[in-house]
Amino acid sequence: MTARTLMNPQPMTLRPTDTVATATALILSHHLRHLPVIDAQGRYVGTFSIYSLLRLTLPKAVTMKEGLSDVSFVNESTEDLAQRLRERGNEPVLNWLSTEAPVMHLETSSMEIMLLMLQGRTTSIPVVDKSNQRLEGIISFWDVFKKLTGEDA
Amino acid sequence: MHGSTEVASAGTMWLAAILFVITYGVVMSEKINRAIVSLVAAGLMIILGILNQEAAIRGVDFNTIGLLIGMMLIVAITRQSGIFQFLAIWSAKKVNANPWGILVMISLVTATTSAFLDNVTTVLLVVPVTLLITEELKVKPYPYLFAMIFASNIGGTATLIGDPPNIMIGSATGLTFNDFAYNLTPAILVIMAATLVPIYFIWGRHLRAAPEDRQRVMQFNEYEAITDVRLLKQCLSVIGLVIGGFVFAHGLGLEAATVAMTGAALLLLLANFGHDPEHQSKHVLDAFNEVEWITIFFFVGLFIVVSGVESTGLLKLLADKMLALTGGSLTATAMVILWSSAILSAIIDNIPFVATMIPLIKAMAPTFGGPEGLMPLWWALSLGACLGGNGTLVGASANLVVAGFAERAGQPIRFVQYTLMAFPIMLMSIAISTVYLYWRYL
Repeated sequence: MTARTLMNPQPMTLRPTDTVATATALILSHHLRHLPVIDAQGRYVGTFSIYSLLRLTLPKAVTMKEGLSDVSFVNESTEDLAQRLRERGNEPVLNWLSTEAPVMHLETSSMEIMLLMLQGRTTSIPVVDKSNQRLEGIISFWDVFKKLTGEDA
Repeated sequence: MHGSTEVASAGTMWLAAILFVITYGVVMSEKINRAIVSLVAAGLMIILGILNQEAAIRGVDFNTIGLLIGMMLIVAITRQSGIFQFLAIWSAKKVNANPWGILVMISLVTATTSAFLDNVTTVLLVVPVTLLITEELKVKPYPYLFAMIFASNIGGTATLIGDPPNIMIGSATGLTFNDFAYNLTPAILVIMAATLVPIYFIWGRHLRAAPEDRQRVMQFNEYEAITDVRLLKQCLSVIGLVIGGFVFAHGLGLEAATVAMTGAALLLLLANFGHDPEHQSKHVLDAFNEVEWITIFFFVGLFIVVSGVESTGLLKLLADKMLALTGGSLTATAMVILWSSAILSAIIDNIPFVATMIPLIKAMAPTFGGPEGLMPLWWALSLGACLGGNGTLVGASANLVVAGFAERAGQPIRFVQYTLMAFPIMLMSIAISTVYLYWRYL
């Protein structure tokens, strides 16, 4: 079994210029965790995920590399957090992509897919064509395990 | 630093000079890690017969190395207590979260901590809190980061242990912790205050924050930032003992490295006491891993290289040339050292520069009536080399750490933009040093 047979070939996607607010609405209404972002040519640019949302709702001083590891002394209200989320709502998702998350190719084996999910602590991985960087689909944990338990039949 | 002063053959001198210049050049190019460069050069010094291994090892100033490692270990453990974050928040709240007040307070905290602990660690821990505060206040972090760079380098100049050049100078000359405090701290207090003046006029007077944003900062609970009260008490006790040790070291016949390393050992003992062996191994290893080994080995190699050059008599020759230039006048020599150290340290790493200047200045002792006559020159070297680091973004390692944070926070500090503001302010601090040296010693 390879990525080609396991993937969802028509995932919901975003464009780099889509706003954070659009992405937030999609994630919340569809209970999604990851939204792959593709350019006009269909090439994979990165992933906007619930972790992007968490990151942009927190102060930069906390989420940056070597930032504050302990924030127990900060006492922000829900409104403070909500305001930060709103302020960043008009930014393009491009500013908040995770680009270091793993990707796989059409020929990636099922075992490797599972290992990538385990090591990356992620529930879905984009499938990218090696030759032209086009996004071919996305594989989620549920796709893999429904197949394994025969629930997809 | 104890190489023989007899003059070697011209061939050996040339060889040492060429090796020395290449080493400097490669270190400045930053193409190869500086520890590698200095160790390779040190190896070549010995293999090419400029000095033998015994002389090379004698050339390494283990008092400097021990003092650096000891203080790095103490900081490595102390930083885990959350004290740096506590101080930053506490000081911000003391001024009612007024944006200019915070800038002054954070600068003072940075300067004071840098005077006793490593500058890089200080900014590494204070910058993130500062960025959080400026984010909450919705003010630009740039003036704060700019002021912190200056504060860390200025504060570091105040004491024997504040900055590597002072550690080297103190170790090579036998000048004590108290000598540094007595001779440098007054100048530093004036310079720190004077530095805040242009910062106020350029940025400070425009800083504004809304009352509700200030209220958010006032609601920070600084006591929550302290992660381990027991550890904090241990750290503060040991730091107190170590500083006390530095103050009384001379009277007790102890050298600075003994005080720092014993303090580090005591803190490791206290922090690990009662824990099982496995836990201890992990914690001790974690602390050792925090020691900046690149800096330490850079020092070791550099001491050997400089000692090799010194042993050929080249530095004595340069000292004589410099004295000829200044006509043997103490005032002129002090000014040349102060201003050239400042300008060179803004561009190149001040550590190799100071390592070279120390034997060079020592060689001037006969002209100025023995080692005591050199005092003003040591203070000129210290003020020039430490304060000069403020001049450009690459002038000191703390500057680069702050710039790295600024970049990640989305508020990059540009090299040219920084230099345009910083270089004149640095020159102002050297002008103040000039007046100070002239008034007090010349």
